[in-house]
Amino acid sequence: MTGTITQPTALTKRRFKSTAWASVSERLVLVGLGSCAVATLLITVGILVMLVTQSWHFFASEYVEFGEFFSGGRWTALQAKEIEDARFGIWPLLSGTLRVTVIAMVIALPLGLMTAIYLSEFASRRVRSLLKPTLEVIAGIPTVVLGFFAILVISPGLQWISGGSFDTFNATSAGIAVGILCLPMVCSLSEDALQAVPTSLREGAYGLGCTPFETATKVVVPAALSGIVSAFLLAFSRAIGETMVVALAAGTRATATLDPREQSQTMTGFIVEMIKSESEFGTVQYYSLYGVAMALFVITFAMTVVGQMVRRRYRESYQ
Amino acid sequence: MTMPAALQRDDANDQAAKAGRRKLISRWFYLLCIAIAMLSVLVLAVLLISISVQGGSRLSVDLLTNAHSELHPEQAGMWPAIVGTLFVCGVCALVALPLGVGTAVFLEEFKPRRPELRVLRRWIPLGQRRWDGVCTGLYKAMRGLHGFVQLNISNLAGVPSIVYGLLGLSVFVYMFNVFGQITVNESAGLELAGVRHYYQVLTLQRGEVVLIPQQDLQQATITVTEPVEAMLPSGERVTLSLWKPGTEKPTEPELRRRTVREGATGGRYSQKDWYYFRLPLGRSFLAAGLTLALVILPVVIIASQEALRGVPPSMREASLGLGATTWQTTRNVCLPAALPGILTGSILSMGRAIGEAAPILVVLGAAIAKNSGPQHLMDDAVTMPVLIYNWAGRQQQVYQELAAAAIIVLLVILLLVNSLAIYLRQRLRQT
Repeated sequence: MTGTITQPTALTKRRFKSTAWASVSERLVLVGLGSCAVATLLITVGILVMLVTQSWHFFASEYVEFGEFFSGGRWTALQAKEIEDARFGIWPLLSGTLRVTVIAMVIALPLGLMTAIYLSEFASRRVRSLLKPTLEVIAGIPTVVLGFFAILVISPGLQWISGGSFDTFNATSAGIAVGILCLPMVCSLSEDALQAVPTSLREGAYGLGCTPFETATKVVVPAALSGIVSAFLLAFSRAIGETMVVALAAGTRATATLDPREQSQTMTGFIVEMIKSESEFGTVQYYSLYGVAMALFVITFAMTVVGQMVRRRYRESYQ
Repeated sequence: MTMPAALQRDDANDQAAKAGRRKLISRWFYLLCIAIAMLSVLVLAVLLISISVQGGSRLSVDLLTNAHSELHPEQAGMWPAIVGTLFVCGVCALVALPLGVGTAVFLEEFKPRRPELRVLRRWIPLGQRRWDGVCTGLYKAMRGLHGFVQLNISNLAGVPSIVYGLLGLSVFVYMFNVFGQITVNESAGLELAGVRHYYQVLTLQRGEVVLIPQQDLQQATITVTEPVEAMLPSGERVTLSLWKPGTEKPTEPELRRRTVREGATGGRYSQKDWYYFRLPLGRSFLAAGLTLALVILPVVIIASQEALRGVPPSMREASLGLGATTWQTTRNVCLPAALPGILTGSILSMGRAIGEAAPILVVLGAAIAKNSGPQHLMDDAVTMPVLIYNWAGRQQQVYQELAAAAIIVLLVILLLVNSLAIYLRQRLRQT
């Protein structure tokens, strides 16, 4: 017997492809993609650096007092002719923002939640196929269009109903438009939360003799509460940061009142007015932009973080 | 024998009445739900109808081809705004889509797994206990980076777009004034390419000028006192001849064209090529596009991540099991499978970019007096939402109608973009 074993020709002639390049390119790609991810971190760093350095110019100015900024009831950055007369107290802007936002939430939260309950619990396939695209279209409408809608339809409508006691630009019309804007967001997020509730819970409720109303309000909604609350918080944060609607429809007078019929300049509205006034670069008025933006960022950031925490912490998992 | 109190209270009639009431409440709740759900359809209908009624009469060819006009608002149009939107959103797409998809791939496909820990252990000398702890620490840091980037992206998604506008204003428009402060009508900053500075001086030939190259950029004007090298507008280099007032003027046009009066002054004039580039970017469409990219980046990332998560793990595992590296798996298996979702998400986010007004308003300002699209990289632009905002804020009826007409055009464009997304999704799903 010959003791030599020859390899089959297929194996001897086989050309092995080098994997060296693959492992090098693997590392290159990893570095490239990793730097994309780091770039997103840089955006956050950029926002923080920008807000802190620029608003430092504002707070360090001799015309601005740190305490007055948080407690002062007058904001006359644009109206004052001389810098000595300008008052920088954020309350009028903050209360303006809150007025518009509260009205928006009064519109968006109940309507959004009810629509979500209807979509997830009752709606037939045909109604869904009408309602879902409608909500997606509303979600896709540019905000400037809703602002125009507010001054074209909502504000004259309010004046007609109330017999003229509303200003031409008022907090209510802006609030309603922002509410329309937030409605699809509340609805889709709440619906996701409601649909995540397992069917067995509903069947249990029906089995015990609950009506559809009782099943929805006493079983399904409480089970999905964390998702619904986080949807509310995200919508709230969106409404606070909303710009174009209030720039068009809420007016330009910063007043600290509770009357929703009056003009109310919001924080975002002030930023737009300031940009439009083309104020000299480097003046205190210019840097007041960044002071307001800082307040805006802190509030919306806190809302977003709390919203995410609520969703993580209180999520009920049904496995 | 008496019935127990609990049963006595709930006798049959009472129970029936209670059940009836409960059913009635449920019925009313159901109807209320329908009414409220239909309210959103009603709102959309009212919005579309009111805007069509207001703007229908202004929809014309003029609207699409003309520029904004203060003097003749009847003929005002939005052509520069359409071109401007195209440029700004083009820049935005070029930046945001690669960056967004790249980040999503990094977060979904390149999660640190146990093999990475093994690689780390091989790199760092084994057998020493404290090094083992360092390896595990590094591995945890890598996992931590992933979690942190993820958290950061969901927070970025909640930042108001106007804050991004201010970020763009500081970072792209002024660049924190690192390259000097830019001012209107003056060349400032670090000019890198595509610009030549001249002084413009009138010649004796009526209405024609010569260009004298500018030496000192700080000097705003020049007074011609001696014959210097200059350039005709046609590009021909000549030596200027001077004419003393009081002496006889040259007559032939060729000579008059390169003769200037002694003591004539000229102001600065810059010739800019399309690739003119300088730092900081100033109020340019490039800065606006980059800012807009920041706004939609979280949306692109989240949509792409959802699409990549939808790829069945079995496909990924099959590829890895055949010996492919992670990147080969991603390129040949995951990305093609997730492509419909990524495309749809990208196009929808571009729809959002087209309608976004606030950041562009902050970066480019509210001015709309521009009668063409951007001419060079540093040129400013008007976009459709800013134009609509400006028109809608005016009192005159004609501008209100124009705003409504422009909104109709904008909505039609958005509709086309969204239908493209739906069409692509259907098409790619089938193949």
